[in-house]
Amino acid sequence: MAAVYKALSADSSHEREPGSKNKQRVLILSSRGVTSRHRHLLSDLYSLLPHSRKEAKFDSKAKLFQLNELAELYNCNNILFFEARKGQDLYLWMSKAPNGPTVKMHLQNLHTMEELNFIGNCLKGSRPILSFDAAFEKQAHLRVMKELFTQIFGVPKTARKTKPFVDHVMGFTVADGKIWIRVYQINESEQSKKKTATVNGEEMDVDPAPKKKGKTEFNVSLVEIGPRFVLTPIVIQESSFGGPIIYENKEFVSPNQIRSDLRRAKAGRYNRRTEAGQDAKARRGELGLKTHGGRKREKDPLSDNVLFA
Amino acid sequence: MAKSKLKVALDNHKGRNIKLEKQRKKEKEARKRKETNKPTVDIEDVEDVEGDEEEGGVELGEEELQTLIAASSKKEKKAKKEKSNGGKAPKDTKGKANGVAKKVVEEREWETEDEEEEDDDDMPERPALDLSKLEDSDSEGSSEDDIAEDDEDEEEDEDDEEEDIAFSDIESLASEDKADVIPHQRLTINNTSALLAGLKRIQLPYSKLAFSEYQSITSDEPTEIPDVEDDLTREKAFYQQSLAAVNDARARLKKEGISFSRPADYFAEMVKSDEHMGKIKAKLVDEAAGKKAAAEARKQRDLKKFGKQVQVAKLQERAKEKRDTLERINLMKRKRQNADITATNEEDLFDVALDETDKSAPADRRKSADGKPNPKRQKKDAKFGFGGKKRFAKSNDAFSTNDARGFSHKKMKAGGPGGGASKRLGKSRRVKRN
Repeated sequence: MAAVYKALSADSSHEREPGSKNKQRVLILSSRGVTSRHRHLLSDLYSLLPHSRKEAKFDSKAKLFQLNELAELYNCNNILFFEARKGQDLYLWMSKAPNGPTVKMHLQNLHTMEELNFIGNCLKGSRPILSFDAAFEKQAHLRVMKELFTQIFGVPKTARKTKPFVDHVMGFTVADGKIWIRVYQINESEQSKKKTATVNGEEMDVDPAPKKKGKTEFNVSLVEIGPRFVLTPIVIQESSFGGPIIYENKEFVSPNQIRSDLRRAKAGRYNRRTEAGQDAKARRGELGLKTHGGRKREKDPLSDNVLFA
Repeated sequence: MAKSKLKVALDNHKGRNIKLEKQRKKEKEARKRKETNKPTVDIEDVEDVEGDEEEGGVELGEEELQTLIAASSKKEKKAKKEKSNGGKAPKDTKGKANGVAKKVVEEREWETEDEEEEDDDDMPERPALDLSKLEDSDSEGSSEDDIAEDDEDEEEDEDDEEEDIAFSDIESLASEDKADVIPHQRLTINNTSALLAGLKRIQLPYSKLAFSEYQSITSDEPTEIPDVEDDLTREKAFYQQSLAAVNDARARLKKEGISFSRPADYFAEMVKSDEHMGKIKAKLVDEAAGKKAAAEARKQRDLKKFGKQVQVAKLQERAKEKRDTLERINLMKRKRQNADITATNEEDLFDVALDETDKSAPADRRKSADGKPNPKRQKKDAKFGFGGKKRFAKSNDAFSTNDARGFSHKKMKAGGPGGGASKRLGKSRRVKRN
């Protein structure tokens, strides 16, 4: 009942006044048992999100609802929780504390900034532009996830450690039922004036920027920074680390299942082969081709033994 | 389950073997499962099987004198069938089904275990959905439409559940059959209304916020990636999406007067440290150097191969030149031999170059002017030998060893009458003779 009351009260009391600010704080933490790569991804994201707070590894995998209290303790209204299982699989929980929806995703194809060696770089604490695929608007669960991404990965204007420029962009794309995430640096290079007049003429007119008025136009290109990863949504829960499941991805196959299937397929190969061997043996016995066991071969009426007995 | 006493009494009265019947039932179930597992079997077939089951059920019922219950269970099953057939089942049939179900519940104690289990199977989905509905209505005060929509969703969900093939069942299929089946591991839950309610609860008021507050852009067209495994096109699609967003956002930020790009003289801590960037740069330089070295090496290799070819060609040319000259000389010789008869001034005129080359060559001293060798020399050569190998000339060879022409048995055996070497006398006699 408390959750229901909270939900009701939250809606009424947190009704935003017009012109209110976008205030977000993210608690970033992982469970125990993360590998070094997972840890590096966490630190990469931490460096990209100045409005985030890093916390020590969380010790429990069963009582995840305790994270809500932790978030409250640090005044965070978003939780980004990395759960490692078996020292190899990484699950990412995104939650809107204390009663927002929770999304659980499987994180794959992880490449950290360190190992990617991209030449892109950006200011620590600059605010990113978030670029979403149009597919995010198509389905309800993707809309929810888009909203969560916007609030967690979008750095609010008023965050404490932000820098006043926009020099990187985060791309979220839906492909193959998964969400692919990329981070690019925005690289502006000067372009000759003539070209801009033809290409971006009207944009130039609209631009009220006082600095570069009519002087030069810039050619924008992107350079990747890293990290790269792919998220497969698994489950959406209605409240934060609890509550009923309101979405479940039917197509998600857990990595455990995949591994066991592989193992089983291997075992199946052995079983099939032995079975086939036994079958062949039985068949040969039936045809009377074996010396021991099986059916005796019929005596040929024309053989020497019969004719000259 | 505790069986009702009445039933036990009835059974005793009839004297039927319960265990045997149970076993038979189990066998039937197993058969049914097999039928449903076959992917090629249509839904109709499955239903046929179900129909068979029903008939079996009816027969059993007659046996047990429970016609009433059997009929009710049949009804229920029919209602279910309709539901699964019609995709979105009309509500009234569902109501009917529920009514029947109620009836069945009333008479539950009369039912066989099997039927009860079926009922139980339907149960577990309900509480969760009910809960969600409750929360929805509480938190959102959602309208009647929402609830209706919810109901429809639920019905669809149930339909899905019936059509789905559980992943665990697929395990038992043969591997070649597996390919045809689309495995659905779990039941679908997609509570759209709850999702939308949740979204509404947390969504930022985008219409009231300036763009610079959230800086989020959704592309107009979905990013289409034909093949996710194709790295290049995939990354290009991501790049294009982000680039379009940047251009859009840039215009909007400029409109709001927000500084966009970092000025060149603004220095601050970067996401990647100088050390890290240095490492990347070193790696790049390394890579470039490696590439350059490889190119250089290849060039050298080619040059070497080519140089060899040049050398070979040069040698061949030289050899050819030599051959040509010799040929020409021979030609000249033949010409000169015939010159006594046919030589004319005209030919000489044409062969000026040849004449010159001939003259320039040093004259052979051993040959006289008319082309015949020196007779004195010839004599000497015949006498003393000329040319040939001097070494081992006097040593034995296979032929000389076997040559026994000079050998004489008589000569070897001294003392013979006709020949042989005279015996040498002793020293004293030789001294005396002298």
